[in-house]
Amino acid sequence: MSLSSRMVIVLTTVGLISGGFLAGVAQLTKERIALNIQKEIEEAIVKVVPGTTQNRKLYEEEDYTIYGGQDELGGTTGYAIQATGIGFQDKITLMFGIDDSLKKIIGLTIIDQKETPGLGAKITDWNAFLQFWTDRDATGPLTLRKPPVSSLEALSSSEINTITGATISSQKILEIVNLSLEKLKKFISEEKIAGAGQNVN
Amino acid sequence: MGAEYLKGLWDENPVFRQLLGMCPTLAVTGTVITGLAMGLATTFVLIFSSLVVSSIKKLIPSQVRIASYIVVIASFVTIADQFLKAYFYPISKAMGPYVPLIVVNCIILGRQEAFASKNSVGRSLIDALGMSSGFILALLVLSTIREILGAGTFLGYQVMGSWFKPWIIMILPAGAFLTLGVLLGIALVIERKTKRS
Repeated sequence: MSLSSRMVIVLTTVGLISGGFLAGVAQLTKERIALNIQKEIEEAIVKVVPGTTQNRKLYEEEDYTIYGGQDELGGTTGYAIQATGIGFQDKITLMFGIDDSLKKIIGLTIIDQKETPGLGAKITDWNAFLQFWTDRDATGPLTLRKPPVSSLEALSSSEINTITGATISSQKILEIVNLSLEKLKKFISEEKIAGAGQNVN
Repeated sequence: MGAEYLKGLWDENPVFRQLLGMCPTLAVTGTVITGLAMGLATTFVLIFSSLVVSSIKKLIPSQVRIASYIVVIASFVTIADQFLKAYFYPISKAMGPYVPLIVVNCIILGRQEAFASKNSVGRSLIDALGMSSGFILALLVLSTIREILGAGTFLGYQVMGSWFKPWIIMILPAGAFLTLGVLLGIALVIERKTKRS
């Protein structure tokens, strides 16, 4: 056998065996990986809209998803909005909850971020950042409080605290939320999506 | 056999002596858990790649050996990545793109080229075990120093008192370079001292 045909045969065989093997492994892990991602979303929804036991996807586009939350009795708990936008380093994916009447942001959580460790990454920290997103006024755009204050009570209800040393990360999250909020209100006023409690089908 | 294993721990330690695998060494040692996970994932890939390469070494024409090794390595890396995603999702998320990047970790391709392709399956296994242990050791030392100084924690548990103000630079890239530099210096001093005596 000539050298070149041997080279072709060996590389093809190695490639085929590896490919087949990987296809098998992907089959085995696919379900679990999908489940992990789904579980993460569900946990985030419960975090930002407490009391939710069921949720339904009301609207979806790239980097923007609206979930409607319901409690055990079928009563509406609110909307959970998952949005992705550019942070300081890379994309930030977050989720925030808003009550049924669109008056109040209930809470916020970060799903994915690659901000600077020790500085911007504090956006995932409850004490440093997330606690200041509890019960914010959602009727107008939110603003950033700078220099930051140390307690939630010191903020007015339309203000968000800044993380010291990570103003841009804080600012970017605020922008993502303000934009998402505007979009949600527009969709609801245009009746593009049904209210969280109503059946969409 | 013992010597084959031990050389990976110190004399030919991939990080401190050979300066291989610097990318994961610097990138994922901000916390001990990601450092350990990277060490274990690399161990898995190195052991299985060495086993496969040393058993098929006679079948592979030398002109296409690197390409074949890379395909084998990439397959095991993909398996490790899928496994972490399926069973250790938070850790996989924290490591980001660095698990797939094990493919280009020089320790792995280096061991195939320098050792597994020339030695028996048994010896290659011992060599892979030694090298991975050396790599894990280096990552653990580095990540322990960085996590304790940079965050005041070890494996997520607070170990420093409230008086301690974390040195944020230690968990930033600069801290990785500083720590690695100091450790390399120390390794060199120890090496000289032991050689002289």
